[in-house]
Amino acid sequence: MAELEFEARLDRLFAQAPFFPDAALFALKIDHRLERGWTVRRMLIGGLGLVGGLFGVAQVVSSGFLSRAEMLSAQSSKLLSQNLHRFIPLHLSFPDLPFGREVLGMSAALAAIALVLALMRAIEEI
Amino acid sequence: MGGSNTEKTAVAAAHDIELAARAALGERAAFGELVRRHSSAVRGLLRRLGADSALADDLAQDAFLAAFEQISEFRGEGTFQAWVKRIAARLYVRRWRRDKRTDLMADTPEPEMEPGLDQAGAAQRIDLDAALNTLSTAERLCVSLCYGGGLSHSEAADALNTPLGTVKSHVKRGLDKLRERLAWAEPDDQAGRHVHG
Repeated sequence: MAELEFEARLDRLFAQAPFFPDAALFALKIDHRLERGWTVRRMLIGGLGLVGGLFGVAQVVSSGFLSRAEMLSAQSSKLLSQNLHRFIPLHLSFPDLPFGREVLGMSAALAAIALVLALMRAIEEI
Repeated sequence: MGGSNTEKTAVAAAHDIELAARAALGERAAFGELVRRHSSAVRGLLRRLGADSALADDLAQDAFLAAFEQISEFRGEGTFQAWVKRIAARLYVRRWRRDKRTDLMADTPEPEMEPGLDQAGAAQRIDLDAALNTLSTAERLCVSLCYGGGLSHSEAADALNTPLGTVKSHVKRGLDKLRERLAWAEPDDQAGRHVHG
């Protein structure tokens, strides 16, 4: 019993923290070290991102991707135009509108995407 | 650690577990509050383990930085202070082993009794730190790791890379000496003590 009492007393003594008058300064030093660590980390991540981005751009340019993307874009535009002619009847062609059927199709697609996003958000809220 | 007065008040009033959760999300002000609350206990423990004031402060800083890195591992099963103390104790043992200051298996010389602190000076109040100074290095380290650092005997043995029996015997001898020394002091003799960093 005396043994347990002594050990409990020892626990209490160890749990009592001494008073340090420079405790605020000590906390500030740790904050500065954390800040320095974050700055270094941010610079490292930014630097690696920049290097990776430049490498990626160099790869894209050297692979002739841009000319191929241009060609694909022209082909898909042509295909879209042909399909719109097939699906939209002539009496719905809105000849007086200041934009073509392609713009109308793109707007419809964007509206559909926006609708899906709104629906997903609504489901999340529920 | 800027922020409005309302935020500061909210941080100061928050529980350690809430602050740790907020620190895990990267809120440095919350972690700063944890440092303010517990740095003295961690620095005190490191000094009781045997570190001088400069080393104790360096290791305490390292312990808090390590705690910030691993804060998401703190689940609130024990207290935050106990968790950081364990980190600090392990850091100290690692440093101690690296410096190979003492072989725990060897019998380390015991400090000389201070003159005037024998039975004739029984009325003199001594505190835990003074009592720890009378232990051998190994005894002090083992007792402080187990009672101050919250390590079990086997965890202390693992950390010190020493047989469990050796740690147990150092703890027992250390406790016997502390019991004898602390018997002279009042139970509440630690209150209001100042340590200059």
